[in-house]
Amino acid sequence: MFKNYLKIAYRSLTKNKAFSLIHILGLTIGITVCMMIFVYIMNEFSVDNFHTKQKRIYRVMRNFKEMKEGVPYVSGPYAPALLNDFPGDIKQAVRVNTNQGLISFDNKSFLEKKLYVTDPGFFDLFSFKLIKGNAATVLKDPLSIVLTETTAKKYFGSTDKAMGKVLTLDKQQQFKVTGISKDVPPNSHIDFDMVIPITSYLNNTGFNVWINNRLFTYVLLGEHTNKSVLEQKFAPFLTKYMGADMQHSGIKISLSLTALPDIYFEKASAFDNVKHGDKTVVYIFLCIAILIMLIACINFTNLSTIRAVERSKEVGLRKVLGAHKSHLVLQFIGESILLTIVSCILSIGLLLICMPWYKELLGYKLSVSWNSAPIYLFLVGVILVIGFLAGSYPAFFLSAFSPIQALKGKLRLGKSGNFFRQSLVVVQFSISLLLIIGTFVIVKQMDFVKGKELGYNQQQVVTVNLDNDDIFNHRRLFKSTLESNQAIASVSLMSGEPGGFHDVQTYEVEGQNEAFKSRSEFADFEYVKTVGLKIVAGRDFSPQFSTDTTEAALINETAARKLGFTPNQAVGKWIKNTVRDSLKRRIIGVVKDYNFLSLKENMDALVISPSDDRRVAVIKLKPGNLNNAIADIKKAYAQAAPVYPFDYSFLDQKFDVTYKTDIRQKTMLTIFSGLAIFIACLGLFGLASFTAVKRTKEIGVRKVLGSSVSNILLLLSTDLLKPVAIATVIAIPLGYCFMQAWLQNFAYRTPLHWWIFAFAALITFIIAFATVGIKSLKAALVNPVKSLRSE
Amino acid sequence: MIKITNLEKFYRTEEVETIALNKLTMEVNTGEFVAIMGPSGCGKSTLLNILGMLDDPDEGSYMFNGIEIAHFNERKRADLRKHNIGFVFQSFNLIDELTVFENVELPLIYTGVSSADRVKRVEEVLDKMQIMHRRNHYPQQLSGGQQQRVAIARAVVNKPKLILADEPTGNLDSSNGNDVMELLTDLNEQGTTIIMVTHSEHDARYSHRIIRLLDGQTVMENIMV
Repeated sequence: MFKNYLKIAYRSLTKNKAFSLIHILGLTIGITVCMMIFVYIMNEFSVDNFHTKQKRIYRVMRNFKEMKEGVPYVSGPYAPALLNDFPGDIKQAVRVNTNQGLISFDNKSFLEKKLYVTDPGFFDLFSFKLIKGNAATVLKDPLSIVLTETTAKKYFGSTDKAMGKVLTLDKQQQFKVTGISKDVPPNSHIDFDMVIPITSYLNNTGFNVWINNRLFTYVLLGEHTNKSVLEQKFAPFLTKYMGADMQHSGIKISLSLTALPDIYFEKASAFDNVKHGDKTVVYIFLCIAILIMLIACINFTNLSTIRAVERSKEVGLRKVLGAHKSHLVLQFIGESILLTIVSCILSIGLLLICMPWYKELLGYKLSVSWNSAPIYLFLVGVILVIGFLAGSYPAFFLSAFSPIQALKGKLRLGKSGNFFRQSLVVVQFSISLLLIIGTFVIVKQMDFVKGKELGYNQQQVVTVNLDNDDIFNHRRLFKSTLESNQAIASVSLMSGEPGGFHDVQTYEVEGQNEAFKSRSEFADFEYVKTVGLKIVAGRDFSPQFSTDTTEAALINETAARKLGFTPNQAVGKWIKNTVRDSLKRRIIGVVKDYNFLSLKENMDALVISPSDDRRVAVIKLKPGNLNNAIADIKKAYAQAAPVYPFDYSFLDQKFDVTYKTDIRQKTMLTIFSGLAIFIACLGLFGLASFTAVKRTKEIGVRKVLGSSVSNILLLLSTDLLKPVAIATVIAIPLGYCFMQAWLQNFAYRTPLHWWIFAFAALITFIIAFATVGIKSLKAALVNPVKSLRSE
Repeated sequence: MIKITNLEKFYRTEEVETIALNKLTMEVNTGEFVAIMGPSGCGKSTLLNILGMLDDPDEGSYMFNGIEIAHFNERKRADLRKHNIGFVFQSFNLIDELTVFENVELPLIYTGVSSADRVKRVEEVLDKMQIMHRRNHYPQQLSGGQQQRVAIARAVVNKPKLILADEPTGNLDSSNGNDVMELLTDLNEQGTTIIMVTHSEHDARYSHRIIRLLDGQTVMENIMV
C-alpha cells in the first residue's frame, strides 16, 4: 500500500510541474531561511560553551550607581586581592589585557591587533587547545609567547619551525615562542592571535594602581560557591582597598560577577572591546524565522488543498473500492511529509550555496556543524511539524468527501473551507506587510541618522590613532609637520574623536553640592577649530592665555543646563576633575551641543579640557586633492613612527562602524521581507489559478452574455484581493506599534509618517494584483465556446 | 441476496425537498442479471448508490445477504462493500496516475491481499479481459472500450458477489458497447449477480429482468425470456 501511495504521490507531482514547483519552492525557501536563522542562533548561543570550566568562570564587573551598564575594566591589583581575601570561594583569577603591538621576526613586521597580555594561568582556566606546549607552564617564563596556528604560519611558515623562535615586540622586548594554540573558534568572546604573560608589566603603574582600570579579570569560583552570596561580600572588600579613593573622587562603585556564557550578550561599549552579540537581534531573527515559516506553511496548506480537490476523483474511487477515512488521511499526510522531505533536501543544497554570502552578510565566521545532532533534530522537527500541520487540513478535508460527489467531480470547497483559506491568506499578507513596513522604517531611520546634522565637521576629516609608543612620543612632531602642510587646514590631538571614546568622569563644580558626572574630552587648543564646533558663550582655548592648559575648560550646552546655568552664567564658574586636576579650572566658554556620542544615546553633558590624554589625531583637510593629502599624512607618520604601518580612517566612515548591527538588520530584513512576499505571492498565484479553473464556466457564461474582458478581470481580482485588503487593516496598526517600539532604541527618531504605511500597502497591493491579474486575464481571454464545451 | 423494503430517500435544499426514492420495494436474487431503467431523475442512480452502500437511505430497510445494513456506519459499509461489491461506471473512473495493472490492483490492496497474490490475480483477470498487453499503459493511452475493460477487470478482481454497473456502455460506440455487455453476461453466467442502470433498451435485453422506475417508484417489471 505504501508503495502505491509513493507512486501516486510522485506521479501526481510530475503531472502538473508548474504547480508542483510553486508548491515545493515556497516551502524550500521557507525552510532555507529558517535553517539560516537556526544556524545563526545556534552559533550565538554556543559562544563560550566549549570551556570545560565554563559553569564556574565569571568576569568581574564594576557598577556605578548612576549608570545602567557596568564596566568590566578593572585594575591590576583586584586579582591578587580577590584571591587573598576569598581563598575559599575564588580558586583562580586571570587578568586579561587586550593589547596591540608591532611584532617582528627577521625582516618581517606586522602590527598585531589581537595581542593578549594575561596571567600565566590563562590556558589553564580557559579551554583553548594547545597543539604544542603545556597549558600549566606555557606562560610561566615572563618572556614567553604563545601563538595561534595561523599566526605561527604567518611568521614561520609552519608550527614546527615556530617553537623556540624569538619574536620582538615594539622593537624592544624579545619573547620566545613556547606554545602554539589552535586558532580561536568563532564562538569565543575572547579572540587572540598571540598571548604573552602579564608578569613583566606588573611593575608598571598602569597595572599596579587601584584606580587605573584597564584589564579584565576572570575568576574561577569554588565548586560549591554561591555567586550571589559571594557578591554580597564585595562591598567590604571595596571599602578596604578603595575606600579612600572612592571618597576622594566621589565615585561609588560596587562589584558583581558575570557568568561566562552571559558575557557575550552584555552590551558592547568603548569599555568592553571583546566580541559581543545582541540578544535583541537574535530575537528579531527568531521572530522572522517563525513568521516566514508560517507563511510557507500556509502556502503549503492552501496549495495542498487545491491540489487535493483536483484529485477528488481518486479520493472518491478509493472510497468506493473500500478505503477507510484513516487510509486517506494517512495517504495525504504521508504525501505532505514526502514533499517536506524533498524541500528539506533542496534547502540543504540551497543553504550550502548561500552560506558564503550569508557569512558575509552576518559579518562573522559561521559554520554549519553537520556532524552534530541539533541540525538534524531541527530538520526532522521541520519535516514532522510542517508535514503534519500542512498536510492534516487537506487530509481531513478530503477524506470527508462523499464518494458520490467526489466521483461526479462536483466537489466544491465549501463556504467554511473557503473562509478558512481566505483567513490563511490574510495571515500571510499581514505578515508580509508587517515585514515590509519594518523594512521601510528601518531604512528611513538609518537615512535619518545618516543625514542628521551632527553639529561637527564630518567631511574631509581624517583620524589617525596614536596607538603605539613611537607615534605617541613623537606626536608633537607629527602634528607640527602636518600643520605646516598646505593641504591641511588644522590638526588636533585628543582623547576621543566625535562618536569615539568619551570617558565618564566626576567633577566638582562651583555652587554644586554633589559631584557632577560628565562625559569628558581631553584635547589640545585646536579641538574646537578642527572638529568645527560653535562657541555660544565665552571664548575658545587660546595660546594667548598661558594658564589655559591647566586652568581652563569648555563645557557643552547640556552640561550648562544640567548644572542649572544658562551658557552665559556658566562662563566664569570653576570646575575640577576629581581625579586628574590638581587646580580648579575656569569655564571659559560653552560650545553648542554636538553629537559626540552615537545617535542611539541621548545628548549628554561634556567637559572639554586640555589635560594630557592623547589617543587620536583628528586632521581637517582643505578642499582639494584628497589622495595627495593622505600621502602627506602618511609621510609625516613615517617620519614620527617609521617602523609602524600607517592606518587611517575618515570620520564620516565612523557611521558605518557605529551602526554596523543596524545596517545588517536593515539588509537582512529587506531580503527576508522580499522572500516573505515572494512566498506569499506564490500562494496567491496558486489560489488565482485555482479560482480561474473553478470559475471557467461562469466566465464563459458571462462572456456569452456580453461581459467585457476588463469586467471579468475586475470580478476575479476583486475577490482574490479582498484578503489582501483585510491584511492591510490588520498589519498597519500592528506595524505602527512594533516600529514605535524599535525606534525607542534611538535617541533621535524619524517620524512615522502615514505615507510609509500607505506606500507599504500600495506595494503589497501592486505585487498581489500583478500576481492575480496575470491568471485572471488569461482566464478572461479564453474563448467562451471552449470553456462551455467542457460542461 | 438483496431485499429492500419501503426505501425512502430525500434530497433537501434550503427551500425544496425532493423525493428521490418513494417507498421503493424490490428483491434481487443471487445469480440474477437485473436492468434498471427510467427517465432522468427517476431515482436510478440514487438506488444504485444505496445498493452499493455509497449512500444511506432515510427510511426503510436494506437487507444484504440477510443482514440489515440500512444504518451501518461508514466504516462498516466500506468493509462490507470492498469484499462483496464491484463497480463499473459510465465514465470508467480509472486513476490517471496509475497504470492499468496498478488500477486493477487497487481493490486488492484495500482488502489486504499479499503482494505475490495480487500479481497473480491481476494478471489472471487482465488475461481474461484480453488487455494483458496493455498492463503498463496509463488510462489516457487506451481507447474507451479498453478503458471500460480495465474498469470491469478492476470490478471483478476481488471476485465480488455483486456487480453494480452504471450505464456501462454510455460512453462507448455500439461495437465496444456490445463487447462490454458480452463480458457482463459471461460474468453473470459464472455466478455473479449484476444490477445495471441503463438508458439503452438494447443493453437491457441482455438482462433477465427489467425494473422500470418513475418518480422513485417501480412502475413496471419485465421478465425477459
